[in-house]
Amino acid sequence: YLVCMNGVTSVSTLSPPSPASTVGKKKRELLSQDGPDLQDFISGELSEKSQWEEYRGNLKRQKGERLRLPPWLKTEIPIGKNYNKLKNTLRDLNLHTVCEEARCPNIGECWGGGEFATATATIMLMGDTCTRGCRFCSVKTARKPPPLDPDEPYNTAKAIAQWGLDYVVLTSVDRDDLADGGAEHFAKTVSYLKERNPKILVECLTPDFRGDLDAVEKLALSGLDVYAHNVETVRELQRHVRDPRANFDQSLRVLRHAKVAKPSVLTKTSIMLGLGETDAQIYTAMTELRESGVDCLTLGQYMQPTKRHLKVEEYVTPEKFAHWEKVGTEMGFVYTASGPLVRSSYKAGEFFLKNLIRERKTTSD
Amino acid sequence: KSNQKVIQKHSLISPTSKGDKILLHFINQSGVKITTSVTEGASLLEVVINKNLDISGFGACEGTLACSTCHLIFDENVYKNLEPIADEELDMLDLAYGLTKTSRLGCQVCVQKWMDGMTVRVPRDVKDLRNVKESAENQ
Repeated sequence: YLVCMNGVTSVSTLSPPSPASTVGKKKRELLSQDGPDLQDFISGELSEKSQWEEYRGNLKRQKGERLRLPPWLKTEIPIGKNYNKLKNTLRDLNLHTVCEEARCPNIGECWGGGEFATATATIMLMGDTCTRGCRFCSVKTARKPPPLDPDEPYNTAKAIAQWGLDYVVLTSVDRDDLADGGAEHFAKTVSYLKERNPKILVECLTPDFRGDLDAVEKLALSGLDVYAHNVETVRELQRHVRDPRANFDQSLRVLRHAKVAKPSVLTKTSIMLGLGETDAQIYTAMTELRESGVDCLTLGQYMQPTKRHLKVEEYVTPEKFAHWEKVGTEMGFVYTASGPLVRSSYKAGEFFLKNLIRERKTTSD
Repeated sequence: KSNQKVIQKHSLISPTSKGDKILLHFINQSGVKITTSVTEGASLLEVVINKNLDISGFGACEGTLACSTCHLIFDENVYKNLEPIADEELDMLDLAYGLTKTSRLGCQVCVQKWMDGMTVRVPRDVKDLRNVKESAENQ
């Protein structure tokens, strides 16, 4: 998306018609002087931390205003060989990613592969249309989305195995129109995948299945390694942010039951900050999550995807995110990924593998 | 017959005369009044979106009756003259935050001439209510 340089938006004005040759010459002169370059519209320079501290823009939304994007949230527009290669592979294999559907700002980074060269993508199952309309999510919504493709579990497993990933995240939309919420379909995809490639690490980011714990169990026993389900926000803002069919206690029940069904599984959740929550509310939410046995926590900055969605109430500073990471670690989470651009499956593979490797090293030492 | 069709089309795109513009007032979740002038036909959701009115998180499901974020509260005298509510709308409306006896979903109510001058309200923000409560407690 477009970002501004130093808070100034460039606007192009239409000049009155003039003979083609003069226009061409004038244009070239203008462009060669101070005219903007494509690079000027893409914030190529990600600000240093010292510049972030100098940022004096407003971070808390006042009535009627819309906050401007602070410098630490400006990302590079994804371009490049790896990104394009992945995009084409996905289209050829007929896979949908939530990265594209929900307009994730990290798409360039994750698809490009991080320091461990682990490209992570989050594959979306059961279509790209959800039965709920949450006020933070731009995934398409419909009362009755198109029926499930019965070949999807088999084809997806085949495609992912073909792809040769080390770590894959599978997620889905909510399918309240289906009796089991799509649990059987989802679980089958995981078990087929593990059959084809037993070494691959699978993380599932699941819906709440309207609290149906049998559905949760089916998924927990499908062979996955990480069971993720997002609470999205603090208890006090659930009604404001999520679809009314979702709530904090229901989500906690899902996370607890996954552990009950399969104690060796790692459970994970995610909270978006910047929707108007207070520090005390965040702290309480984290405590409740830890008490429910949740192992991994990710915290990220909420960003308004379209004008139909909630405005950002606050841009939380990188320093504050670092504070929450410390709090999470002190509380005993296996890992706490906390940063403005962190999302549920951001670098999921890397964090998991890093921890696993660290663990193995300590046990072998 | 084709002549009739052409005439109809022209009346939709003809320049507006005094009678065509309908004045609507929206009170957003912070209590701010927003006034806009529209022609009849569009749903209230379309009005909010197309006119870029300052209402946060409105119309998440894009008018497919799969959420209740376009929930609007009408005056009694307007409410009783609206088109009857369908089951699908009722299903979603039942889940809406701050539901009242004169609530409807904005995506299901289309602007008509007789609505000229009406005021519709978005439920007051959860946060705002808390602030109001807190300041009352502090006094």
